[in-house]
Amino acid sequence: MNELMRVEDLKMYFGGLKAIDGLDLVINEGETLGIIGPNGAGKTTLFNAICGVYKPTGGKVIFKGQEVQGQPAYVMARKGIARTFQISKPLADLTILDNVVAAAGVHEYTGMRSYFRKSHTPEVIAKAEAVLEETGLTEVRDKKASDVSLGYLRRLEIARVLVTDPELIMLDEPCAGLSNFAINEVTELILKLKERKKSIVLIEHNLPITMKVCDRIMVLSYGKKIAEGPPEVVKHDKQVIEAYLGEEDEA
Amino acid sequence: MSAYVFSISATAAVFVLLALSLNIITGYAGQAMMGQAAFFGIGAYTAAILTETYHVNFWLALILGMLFTGLCGAVLGLISLRLQADFLAITTIGINFVMVALFNNMSITGASLGLNVTKPSFFGRQMGNQEFFFLTLIVIVIVCLLIVKMRRSWFGMALASINNDAAAARSFGIDVSRYQILAFIIGTAIAGLAGGIYAHRMGYIASSDFAFTVSIQILSMVVIGGIGTIRGPILGALLLSVLPEALRFVSDFVSDYRSLVYGGLLVLMVRFMPGGLFGSSSPIVRGSLWVFRKITGKGGAAA
Repeated sequence: MNELMRVEDLKMYFGGLKAIDGLDLVINEGETLGIIGPNGAGKTTLFNAICGVYKPTGGKVIFKGQEVQGQPAYVMARKGIARTFQISKPLADLTILDNVVAAAGVHEYTGMRSYFRKSHTPEVIAKAEAVLEETGLTEVRDKKASDVSLGYLRRLEIARVLVTDPELIMLDEPCAGLSNFAINEVTELILKLKERKKSIVLIEHNLPITMKVCDRIMVLSYGKKIAEGPPEVVKHDKQVIEAYLGEEDEA
Repeated sequence: MSAYVFSISATAAVFVLLALSLNIITGYAGQAMMGQAAFFGIGAYTAAILTETYHVNFWLALILGMLFTGLCGAVLGLISLRLQADFLAITTIGINFVMVALFNNMSITGASLGLNVTKPSFFGRQMGNQEFFFLTLIVIVIVCLLIVKMRRSWFGMALASINNDAAAARSFGIDVSRYQILAFIIGTAIAGLAGGIYAHRMGYIASSDFAFTVSIQILSMVVIGGIGTIRGPILGALLLSVLPEALRFVSDFVSDYRSLVYGGLLVLMVRFMPGGLFGSSSPIVRGSLWVFRKITGKGGAAA
């Protein structure tokens, strides 16, 4: 398998807090990597440090052979690293279709020049509609994002990522707060992406789903990697069980 | 039309232009701007000083005034990148007071005496309220066309995205800072142009013409009309410039207590009708669309 992204000795400190402390990580093309860990382990911080929301304190992020660490989020998006947010960030006043169209313009936002380029061309709308179909959002196409339920918003996050034709998809808890039925829908969607050989990094608290979807799982605790491997191996790792369920009483 | 009507119309037209300019910054880009009158003033004084002191051609002075105001807007845009919404609001209020103090004290702006501005000639005839009204009207039409084009472009999409959620906008490739600064430049430059027109129509400007209350007046027009739309600021500005004049015949109350009326209306609108009188969710707009559909028998989509 070809290597798509390599993270070397990544550090993200906030004052004295070492949210990410010397993390190494490799993502191969067409692979689904799961990241699990207790609350506060640094999972979302890791996403933010990779995607340019934060400037890492140290370390390297190498994407397709190029060092990209420290570049702003919008540059990362244009390079093909697309992410969703743990707390949905819809463009509330816009329709679902326009939300997806906005993301489809990922390479169009060139400052003053973008004034002279029309946004809603037939090609862009067709592309957005295809993604809406794929993510099961066609039925709410013309509804305002503020008027649809959380299940739709979660899928809207994924739709906005897909429409940018990303090389790496980073999903931050796509099932958080959803009903079992909605969780199944999102899981199906991720499996569909996986079939299409997309490279995915998934943060998810729902362990059965993570085990089912991922080829490889990395366990984070206090900003450090404590285990990594195929789902079956990680499931039985002693350190992982401790981190998740707490240490056994020694007395 | 009588001279009186043209005088009111010319003033109303300048306020329409100001409301449209503020709407670009606050309505489309979502930046809290409470000092639009400062930039109105920068444009007015720049153009007036150019024609009076340096004898620059009126039209050239209008354009230079607009460009200089846009430049000042760019500086504010840079400052805004470091500030959250409420602090930006306070900062822009502060800028308004600082500018008024400068206008009122610098010798180049005539200090507290203000500036006398010679009215320009157009084809050998001195321009009056009528000419200035039509000039402003042409500018308004051009600005509206440019805004319509903006809303259909990726530029408009970028502003709409930033207005809704800046972090989301960054996640799909939008350089938020750049667009924020561009919105400030465009919005302040148009206010500067309005200032140049205003100064030369009035023939005299003083610092109080650009006071903070004027900023509130402009903001009221945008909010009462319907923020983020084109018709909203236009109708809001017309309503608030013409209504006090119309009511003058009935009672002096509205024109005497203008600020009170603006402030009161602003509070009421934000509380009970944040979309404005002519926004897309307004009962007035919905009602007239319903009537329109009944009459024409068409099911056309609501714009």
